[in-house]
Amino acid sequence: MATEKITDIRHMLHWPGHMETDYIYTQGIAGEKFFSEIKENEKIYGGRCNHCGQVFVPPRLYCERCFRKIAEWRNLGSKGVVYTFTVVYIDIDGAKLDEPIMYALITFDGAEGGLIHRLGEIKPHEVQIGMPVEAVFRPQAERTGSINDIRYFKPQS
Amino acid sequence: MVGKKRVAVIGAGMTLFRRNLKETGKELAWHASKMALDQAGLELNDMQSVVMGTAPDAFDGVHMKGEYLADGAGAWRKPYSRVFVGGGTGVFAIDAGWWHVASGQFDTCLVVAEEKMSSCYPHPAYAFTTIFDPIYSRPLGVTLIWIFALEMHRYMHRHGIKKEEIALVSVKNKRNALDHPCAQLGANITVEDVLNSEIMCWPVQRLDISPTSDGAAALVLASEDVAKKLTDNPVWIDGTGWCIDTTFWTNRDLYYPRYVQCAAQMAYKMAGIKNPPKEIDVAEVYDPFDYKELHHMEGLMLARKGQAPKLTADGVTQRDGDLPINPSGGLLGVGNPIAAAGLMKCCEIFWQLRGEAGKRQVKGDPRTGLAQAWGDLMQYGSVVIMRS
Repeated sequence: MATEKITDIRHMLHWPGHMETDYIYTQGIAGEKFFSEIKENEKIYGGRCNHCGQVFVPPRLYCERCFRKIAEWRNLGSKGVVYTFTVVYIDIDGAKLDEPIMYALITFDGAEGGLIHRLGEIKPHEVQIGMPVEAVFRPQAERTGSINDIRYFKPQS
Repeated sequence: MVGKKRVAVIGAGMTLFRRNLKETGKELAWHASKMALDQAGLELNDMQSVVMGTAPDAFDGVHMKGEYLADGAGAWRKPYSRVFVGGGTGVFAIDAGWWHVASGQFDTCLVVAEEKMSSCYPHPAYAFTTIFDPIYSRPLGVTLIWIFALEMHRYMHRHGIKKEEIALVSVKNKRNALDHPCAQLGANITVEDVLNSEIMCWPVQRLDISPTSDGAAALVLASEDVAKKLTDNPVWIDGTGWCIDTTFWTNRDLYYPRYVQCAAQMAYKMAGIKNPPKEIDVAEVYDPFDYKELHHMEGLMLARKGQAPKLTADGVTQRDGDLPINPSGGLLGVGNPIAAAGLMKCCEIFWQLRGEAGKRQVKGDPRTGLAQAWGDLMQYGSVVIMRS
C-alpha cells in the first residue's frame, strides 16, 4: 500500500466530481394532516392506533407494530417536555458558530415519540432535561406547511 | 445447529486505516481480500461466493458502489451481493456470509467490507445530512453529531454518568491502538485531554469521536469440511444476530439500545450462551463515539444497565482485564471507515481467538469472542459470536 501521509487529497492525481441532484419530497397522507394542523391551527397532532391504543407523534398512516391503518388523529396541543438536548457550537464545516444553537427532543403528554426542534428564549446553561416547553409558531402568513412553521420551543410561561 | 452447516473463518485481512489514502476503493478492497486469501492459503478460484459490505454510496461518490467495487472484492463471474445496513454493515456482512455457507449453497464465501470516506470532499459530514427524514428532520439542518449528542445526553442523564467516566473509553481505545499496525489514531491521551478538547455539540467533544477514514477488511469463510482440510486452527461462527428498531429515532429509549439487545439475544441463543459476561472472553464493541462502547456493552448484556462505566473505571475492560473490550483499539483508535471498521472488529476477534494478535493479544486463552456493530439511523444491531 501507499504509506505516505497525505493531508490534502488534491495533492494526488484526481478528478473532481459532483453528485448533486435535487428532490421534492411529498409529505404523505399523515404528514399533510400534521403540517396542515400546524399551519392552520397551531396544533401538534399525533395518530392513534385503534388496535393497540398507542398514540404516535409524528403521526403515521399505519401502526408499525399492528400494521393496521391509523385513522384517528389526536390533538396534542403545543406544549411538551425536553427529553434530551444538545448545544451545537460548530457548523457542518467545523467552524465555530457566533451563537450556539440548542436542539432538543420534545415529547408530548399521552403520546409516544416526539419532535426534534430548536430551543429559544433561553440560555444554554438554563436548559434542563424534563423542562416544560411550548411551541412558538411563525406568523400565519409566513407558514408554508413545514416543520419550520414552528420557530422554536420556549420555556412554558 | 440442526439443519445448518457449521461455518468457519479461516483467513482475515485488512488495509491501513487512514484519511486520504491514494488507493481507490477497489484497490483497498483488493488489498484486504488478497491478504485474507493468503492467510487461508486459497486462491480466488476457490471462492464460490462473495459478499460485499459497504455503506452509503455518497462516501465513495459512486451510485451503486456495490457494483463499482465488485472486481476489487473478487466477484468476477461469481454469485455476488452487496449488503448495507449503515454502520451495522461490517458485522452484518459476516452474518450474511455465514448464511451463504450455513445454508449449504456454497462451501466458501469471501466477505469484504470497504469505505473510502475521504472522496467526499471537503468532509463526509455532508453525506450524512441526507440520511435523515426529509420532512421532519432535514429542514432543521440536522447533522450527524448533534443527533448523537442528544442520545449521549439522555444516556448520561438516565444513569447519572459523568463525562470523565465516558472519556476513559477514548483513553483506553486510543492507547490500545498504539499496538495495531494499521491504526490511524493510536495515542497516549488523558481524561483531561478529552475534557479539554473542542466542544462540538455538547456533550460531544472532539476526542469523544472516531475519525474519518479510508480502508477495507476481509474474511474467508468455509464450510466445516473445507476448513478442516485447510487449517488446524479454524474459528467457528457459532452465533449470528441482527435486528432493526423503529425508523423514528424519536420513538426509541435513546438511553438503551433495544435493537442491540435483540440482535445479541438471537446470537446468544444460537451459540447456547446463557451468561454473556462470564462466557464471552473478549469483545469488539462498536465505538464510533466513546459513550457508544458503554451503551453497547449494556445492550449486549455484558454489563447491567448503567453499569458499563463502573466496569471501565475498574479496569475490567482493559486488555489485561477480565472482560477485554476493543483490544484492537476500536474505531476511536484504529479508525472508522464505516463498513470496514465493523469487519475489522471481526478480524480482530479471529486473530485473538487464534492467538495471532501479537502485542494486542488478551491474557489467558480466549475461546469465545463477540463482535458487534450498530447502524442505520441509530437503530440497527448486528452481532457475531466466534469460538476457537
